[in-house]
Amino acid sequence: MEAPPVTVMPVTGGTINMMEYLLQGSVLDQGLESLLHRLRGLCDNLEPETFKDHELVYFLKGQQGSPFILRARRSLSHPNAPWHVRYLGQPELGDKSRHALVRNCVDVSASHSLPEFLNEMGFRMDHEFVTSGRIFRKGAMKIVVGSVSRMLVPGNTENVEQISLSSLIELSILAPAGQDTVSEDMRSFAEQLRPLIHLDKVDPAKQRH
Amino acid sequence: MGVTCVCQVPVTEGKSVQQTVDILHRKLEQLGAVKQGSFCVDCETYTATGNASGQPSKLLYVMHNSETPLSCLAMFEGGPFLIADANFDVLMVKLKSHFQNAKGHKVECRGSRYRYCDFLIKVGTVTMSSSARGISVEVEYCPCVVPGDCWNLIKEFMQSFLGTNVPELPSVFAAKPEGLFAPADCVDTMTQYQELFNKLRKLQIQGSNVR
Amino acid sequence: MQQREEKQLEASVESLTSRVSLVQNALQSFINKLENEYERLAWPSVLDNFALLSGQLNSINKLLKNEKTPSFRSQVIIPLLLSPDRDEDLAKLTEMRVPVFSHEIVPDYLRTKPDPEVEEQEKQLSAEAARIGPEVAQKQIQALNKMCSSLLEKLNNPREERDSDSTARQNKQSFNPADTNLLVSAIAFGKGLSKCRPPCPVPPGHSGQGPMMSGGPTLQQVTIGGKMPSSIKTNIKSASASMHPYNR
Repeated sequence: MEAPPVTVMPVTGGTINMMEYLLQGSVLDQGLESLLHRLRGLCDNLEPETFKDHELVYFLKGQQGSPFILRARRSLSHPNAPWHVRYLGQPELGDKSRHALVRNCVDVSASHSLPEFLNEMGFRMDHEFVTSGRIFRKGAMKIVVGSVSRMLVPGNTENVEQISLSSLIELSILAPAGQDTVSEDMRSFAEQLRPLIHLDKVDPAKQRH
Repeated sequence: MGVTCVCQVPVTEGKSVQQTVDILHRKLEQLGAVKQGSFCVDCETYTATGNASGQPSKLLYVMHNSETPLSCLAMFEGGPFLIADANFDVLMVKLKSHFQNAKGHKVECRGSRYRYCDFLIKVGTVTMSSSARGISVEVEYCPCVVPGDCWNLIKEFMQSFLGTNVPELPSVFAAKPEGLFAPADCVDTMTQYQELFNKLRKLQIQGSNVR
Repeated sequence: MQQREEKQLEASVESLTSRVSLVQNALQSFINKLENEYERLAWPSVLDNFALLSGQLNSINKLLKNEKTPSFRSQVIIPLLLSPDRDEDLAKLTEMRVPVFSHEIVPDYLRTKPDPEVEEQEKQLSAEAARIGPEVAQKQIQALNKMCSSLLEKLNNPREERDSDSTARQNKQSFNPADTNLLVSAIAFGKGLSKCRPPCPVPPGHSGQGPMMSGGPTLQQVTIGGKMPSSIKTNIKSASASMHPYNR
């Protein structure tokens, strides 16, 4: 048999087993300005990036078990930017020694045909929302301060209503599995934002009922 | 990204796949084409496991092309396609309880990349489960994106080293309105590779039946 | 091996200097603000400056604690050449603080003992302490201890009240934990967001449609595409009254 010329490395790839370390909190509108001020002082970028995103959450139901969930996001402020699809694993809270919630995370940039493609794969949209705010960075840390709005008319991102008077704050780091030390940086950063806000591991499962 | 044509070249009577590829290389070099590295196109096939709607599920293909090394193209047969970054492969691993990888169906096409003036020529060996199944030739005319305007030129160029094995206008172009070409995402090229792979896969099944 | 250690030392000294100069800059600009802009200076921005300094000090601390940083304490500095002449390079390096590297100042700058004034004060204190007899000293110690404990008691008691009062006030001002939960559950599973479809119950906690979905033969028999989803839907509706997963 003739061996095919093997000169190129296989192009399949991607980053396997990335974990997201996450702390969450919120700030009331009247505290927002002081928080932004504080973050400007603490973070690398003096002027934070602003964003306005539309997130669609898709469920794929199998024969048994929980549905497989994917989150598709598109930027409303940069309509030509690629879509972003995200898989999040089961969150692990861990014990006291771990200072942040940890979950498996796969981020994929994708073309604008994403909704149509997900539909073909069998995914169905479960819910959607609009979120807008600012992104700060400090080293590997990302701090997102944003409001969450429900959409009054399905699919219409213009007609929205903020669901709360508070803005959501998410402090996160992406790191390969097993690097729990990053959570210490996050904790010490979160400490510096007290008592203005309180960032903590929030287990979404506890809020379900 | 210009207009691209992918076709299959039959193995010359009495020669092996590698010998036929060598002959093609020699012909290209005689024309004055210069070798510029190598290329690789691969394709994984996935099938949906649980199909709640009861309809027969379509096959999902996930392809890579060394010409666009950071991207990954996912497509359903005749259906929508998606261009994503390489993390899509990781996502498919996560989805393995819903989409099964048909292991024996992995197709790869590897070979040399030649440049001749405005043409880019890739001669590849198509392998399935590590045995050679056929030869592919991809010709791209880089300066033009309208198939109707340059098809005859491509055809003439292909005749110069393929002789009578020149294909008809690829069906991906025939289906398009006049004067239009897919944007620079190489979907048209990949669709042609996909069709070629399918053809070779079916040939293989028939071949084994004969034996 | 030694070379590597030297390199490591050099690198850590370098990063330490750069971090110290960051602190220096931040301090300078803060002092400048305090001196020149005190009329316009708002409290949040003062806090920001403090936060910046604390962040920078934090990073210096982290650098010193880093296991890759060699112990500076075990390093010895020996002055090789002393000169009474002005050294321009040195002056520039130290921002005009140390213009000469002479016999007069080197003992002060490279000393590992406290500053001369501090040393002098310490001497006076110990001399004074030696003058008092042990009995008088014991009495004074007792008196001081008594005073301290009563003061501590006074401080501790109202502090609890004051603390709870101030945190409650601050909570009200800048954040509300209930809102955090609301927002997190909204983005995590769409709680409180308008649904575009009737919500499908998320397992675990429902068994009604289990047998219908699983089981190969049933799946095979249902060939009409629309039939199964519609039966699921009715199933959900009947269940939703009693076990709606998003009940508030």
